[in-house]
Amino acid sequence: MTVAPAIEARGLTRRFGAFTAVDGVTFEVAPGEIFGYLGANGAGKSTTIRMLNGLLAPTSGAARVAGHDVARAPAAVKASIGYMSQKFSLYLDLPVRENVAFFGGAYGLAGAALARRADEVLARAELRDVGDVTTGELPGGLRQRLALACAILHRPDVVFLDEPTAGVDPLARRGFWRIIRDLSRDGTTVFVTTHYLDEAEYCARIGLMADGKLVALDTPAGLKRTWVPEDVLVARGRGLREAAAALGGRPGVKNLVPFGAGLHLRVAPGTLRPEDAARLLTAAGAADVTVEQAEPSLEDVFLAVVGNAARGAKGPTP
Amino acid sequence: MNDRLRRSLVRVGAMASKETLHVLRDPRTLVLALVMPVLMLFLFGFGVSFDLDRVPVAIADADRTPASRELVRRLTGARELVSAGEADPADADRLFRRGEAAAVLVVPSGYGAQVARRERITLQLLADGSDVVVANQVLAKADALVRAESRRLAGVDLARVDPPLQVKLWTRYNPAGRSALFMVPGLAAYILAISAVLLTALTVAGEWERGSMEQLFASPVGRLEIVLGKLAPYLVLGMLELLLVVAFGAAVFDVPVRGSLALFLVVGFFFLVGMLGQGLLISVVTKNQLVATQAGTMSSLLPSLLLSGMVFPIENMPPALQLLSRVVPARYLVHALRGILLKGNGLAALWPDLLALIAFAVAVLALATARFQRRLA
Amino acid sequence: MTGPRRPSARVQLAAVFRKEIRQTVRDRRMMFLLVAAPLLQTLVFGFAVDFTVDRVPVVVVDRDGTDLSRLHARRLLADGTLRRVGAGADLAEAAPDATRGPAEAEAALDEGDAAAAVIVPPRFGAELLAGRSPEVQVVIDGTDPNRSTVAGATASRYFGEVAEDLARARLAAAGRTPPAQLALAPRILYNPTLQSPPYMIPGIAALLLLVVTTIVTAMGLAREREMGTLEQVLVTPIRPTVLLFGKIAPYVVIGFVDVLLLVAAGIWVFGVPLRGPLSALFVGTLLYLLTTLGVGLLISTISRTQQQSFLAGFLFVLPAVLLSGVMSPIRAMPGWLQAITWVNPVRHYAEVARSCLLRGAGFGDLAVPLAALALIGGAVFALAVVRFRTRLG
Repeated sequence: MTVAPAIEARGLTRRFGAFTAVDGVTFEVAPGEIFGYLGANGAGKSTTIRMLNGLLAPTSGAARVAGHDVARAPAAVKASIGYMSQKFSLYLDLPVRENVAFFGGAYGLAGAALARRADEVLARAELRDVGDVTTGELPGGLRQRLALACAILHRPDVVFLDEPTAGVDPLARRGFWRIIRDLSRDGTTVFVTTHYLDEAEYCARIGLMADGKLVALDTPAGLKRTWVPEDVLVARGRGLREAAAALGGRPGVKNLVPFGAGLHLRVAPGTLRPEDAARLLTAAGAADVTVEQAEPSLEDVFLAVVGNAARGAKGPTP
Repeated sequence: MNDRLRRSLVRVGAMASKETLHVLRDPRTLVLALVMPVLMLFLFGFGVSFDLDRVPVAIADADRTPASRELVRRLTGARELVSAGEADPADADRLFRRGEAAAVLVVPSGYGAQVARRERITLQLLADGSDVVVANQVLAKADALVRAESRRLAGVDLARVDPPLQVKLWTRYNPAGRSALFMVPGLAAYILAISAVLLTALTVAGEWERGSMEQLFASPVGRLEIVLGKLAPYLVLGMLELLLVVAFGAAVFDVPVRGSLALFLVVGFFFLVGMLGQGLLISVVTKNQLVATQAGTMSSLLPSLLLSGMVFPIENMPPALQLLSRVVPARYLVHALRGILLKGNGLAALWPDLLALIAFAVAVLALATARFQRRLA
Repeated sequence: MTGPRRPSARVQLAAVFRKEIRQTVRDRRMMFLLVAAPLLQTLVFGFAVDFTVDRVPVVVVDRDGTDLSRLHARRLLADGTLRRVGAGADLAEAAPDATRGPAEAEAALDEGDAAAAVIVPPRFGAELLAGRSPEVQVVIDGTDPNRSTVAGATASRYFGEVAEDLARARLAAAGRTPPAQLALAPRILYNPTLQSPPYMIPGIAALLLLVVTTIVTAMGLAREREMGTLEQVLVTPIRPTVLLFGKIAPYVVIGFVDVLLLVAAGIWVFGVPLRGPLSALFVGTLLYLLTTLGVGLLISTISRTQQQSFLAGFLFVLPAVLLSGVMSPIRAMPGWLQAITWVNPVRHYAEVARSCLLRGAGFGDLAVPLAALALIGGAVFALAVVRFRTRLG
C-alpha cells in the first residue's frame, strides 16, 4: 500500500511583479518525515512555506498539504498544519498560558479538551513552570519552545518551522531538535528551514533552494556523494599557507582553501593520499604537518550547490 | 571644545538625515502630513461657521387675515428664516424631535384687528433650545425681524419725527465678520499641535518598539543629540505646514498678513519646539505607539481645540479652566497669530505670548531629556 | 487521512474576544486612556465649551460726563452681555473723561484688553434734550465674528430702543396716537436658559467615542501586522469575520461603558436631562460603534504600519468631527458640505444622542438617523471584511 505524501508540490511558482521568488518547485514529503529546506537568504524558502500553508496564493503550479489542495481548500489546509514563523510572533504582552489558550481557541479547542492539551504541550516543551510568566519576559530559547507548543496544540499532520532556532544558544537548539524528532516519531511531518547546517544533518531529506529554484533534493549522505565526490583532506601545521603553492599545480587537486589555521583540499578520488600530501607540504617548508581524510560536510555541499547555481549550471560539476 | 562641538553637530546631523530619510521614504506619511493642513483649512474655512441662513421655522397662524399673511411673508421672505410649513403649536415637540423645524412662530388670532387698532401685540416664538447655537440665532434673527416689521408698521408716523439718537458701528480688523479670518490662525495652532505631537510621539515610540533605540544608545550619540536630531526634520515639516496654512488662508480666504512675517515665524518656531518636545516626552514615557497616540490625542488635540480660545472664548470659562488654559501653549499661539495676521501687532503687544511659548518649549524639552536619561540608568 | 473538522466559530470567537480583553485590560495605561480619560475630558470640556457670548469686555469713553450719559452707559451694560473694563470700570460714577478719545479706545482694542469701545460724544446729554441727533460711536474688534456680532447687536439694539421710545414720546407730546408695536415673546423648550453643557455633552460623547474606537482598532491590526502576530493568526483556520468581530467586540463593551459614564456625568454634573427611552440611545450607540470600529478596521486593511493607520485614522476623524454639527451647526454650512455630512456617522449619532436625551425622542422620531447609521455601518463593515479577505490572497 502506498501512502499518500504529506506534502506534494508540483511546479509551484510565485511571482511578485517581475521578480520570481519561487520558480517551478516540485517535491514530495512522506508522512512522518523530517524535511529540511535550505538556501541562502532570499532564495525563496519562506515564500514556499507561505504558499504551502495558505498565506499566499501560488501564481502557477499546485500543492497539496495533508491531502488538501492549498489553492482550493486553504481552510482545510490550515486546520491540519502548524506553523512557526521566522520572527517570533506570539503575543508578548500575554502570559504563556493565555497564548496557548488563544491559539487553542483559534483551532477550535475549548474547555476540558483545551486544558488537557495545553498541559500536554507545555509539558512536552518543558514550559509548565513558566505558565503564568508574561511571554515577553521569557528568554529566547523558551520563546521558541512556546511558539512550537502553540503550533502543535491541535495535533497537526504537518508542521512548518521557518528557521525555528535562529538566535538560540546551542544547548537550547539541541533540546529543540529533540522535540522535533519526537514529533516525527509520533507520525507528524516536519518541514523545517534552517541556517545551521549541522542541524540539517538531522533531516531525513534536504531540499536546496537557490534563486527560487529547487536545485538539489536528497538525503544528507546522498547530497554529499553527488555534490562533493572528491576526497576532502584537512591539513594542519605551521607555515601551510606559504607551502600550499607546492600542491596547487598537481593533477587531481581541484580546490585548495585555507580554513582557519589549516588547509582544506578537495582532490579527485585516489589521486593524492594524505601521507603524500603531508610529505609534499613538509618539503615545501611547512612544519609539524598532519593530514587526515575528512567526511565532506553539508557546508561543502551548500557551497558547491550555491556556487554552482551562481555560475548558472544545472546539476553537479563532474 | 570647538572640536567637540563640531563632532556633536556631525552626530546631530547624522541623526537628522536618518530621520529625514525615514520621512521621505514613507511618502504616505509625508503626503498625509502635508495634505491634512490643506484639507482641514478647507473644512474649517467652509464648514465651521456660526452664521445661520435659512433657518426653518414652522408657522402657526391663528389669525389668517391679509395682515397676518403679510407678517408671515415678511418674516420668512428674507434670507434668515424660511417657512417650514404650517403647524399647530401642539406639534412643536414632534417637529423638533424630528429636526424638521428649529422654531414655531405663533401669530395670535385677532392680529389684523389689533394692528388696525394700533395696539401693542405680542407674537410668540417657540424655540428648540436643545441646539443652543441655532436657538440663539433664531431668537436674535426673529427679534431683529420683528423689530423691523414693527418699525415698518409705524412707518409714516415715525418717519416724520427726526431720529432722536444715532448709533454708528465701526467694525475693525474683520469688518465682514467672516469666520474664516477668525479660524485660520486658530487652525494653524490646531494642525501644528496634532502633527507635531503625534508624529514625534509615534516615530520615537516606534523606535522603542522595534528596539532600534537601544542600538542608538549603544552608539556614542548623546541623549540631547538624539533628541535634537530626531526633532529637526519634524521641525522643518512643521514650519512647512505653518507656511502652507497661511499661504492657503491668504489665497483662498483672503486672510491678511498685517504684521511682521518674521515675528510670525519666530512665534511658530517656539510653539513647534514645545509641541515636538511634548510628543517626545509622551513617547519616552509610553514607549508604545498605541498608548502614545491616545495620550497625544488627549493631551494635545482636544485641549488645543477647546481650551485655546480658538473657537470658544477663554473669558467665558470658569476660573479653574482659565487657569488650566494658561498651560496650553496653543492659547498663546492663537492669540499671537491673530494679533500678527489680523491686527498687525508687533512684539510690543505680543511679548508675553512669545515668552510663554519659549518657557513651555524649554521646560518640556528639559523634562523629556531628563526622562530619557533616567530610562537608561 | 481523515479530513479535519472545521473548528467551531463560537470557540474561535470566544478565544479572540478573551485575548483582546486580556491584552487591553492588562495594559493599565490603555485602560486609563480608554475609560478614565474620556470621562475627564467630558468634565473639562463640559465646563470649557460655552456658546453664550456674555461679559464682552468694553471700554466706555464717556466724553460727555453728564448724568444722562452715565445713565445710558449703565443701562447699556445692565444685562451683563457687555462688561466694562479699563479706566472707570470700578467706579459707578466716573469723572468726566473728555481727554480720552477714539485713539485710546483703539489702543485698547489693539492690545486685546477690550473687544469693543463705546464712545459717547461731548455734549451728548445737552443735544439730546435740545432735540438734536447726537451720534454714539461703537468700535468693535471684528476678529471673532461671533462676539463682534453680539456686541454690535447689543449696542445698536439698546440705542435703537432708546431712540424709538423717544420718538413715540415726541409723537404723543405732539398729540398723535403712536402706531402699533410688535414684540416677540420667546418660549424656549427643552433648555430654557440655553445652557451650553446639555447641548454639548451628547456631542462630546460622540467625538470621544470616535477618537477612542476608530484609532485604536485602526492601529490594532496594523500593530499585529508589524509584530508578526497577524501572520501566525492567519495560518490558523480562523475565519476572517470571526477574527474581525472578536477584535472589535471588546471595544463595543468599552464604548458602552464610556457612553454610560459620560451620560451619567452629564446628568449629575451638568444637569443634562434624560427624557427619551434609553433603549433608543443604546441602539444608536451600537450602530454608531459598528461604523466607527468598521472604519478603523477598513483603515487597518489598507495601511502597513501603525503610523500610517494612525494618520489615515486622523484623516477620517478630523473631517468627521468638523462636519458633525457638534462644534458648529450643520445648517450654517454651504449646501454641498451639508450633503456630505449625510455620510458622516458622527452627525447621525450626535443627532440621536441630543434628540433622545434633550428632546425625549424615541425610535419613531429617530428613524432617519438610526437607519442612516445602520446603512453606513453595514456598508463600512462589509467593505472591511471583503478587503480583509482579499488581502490574504
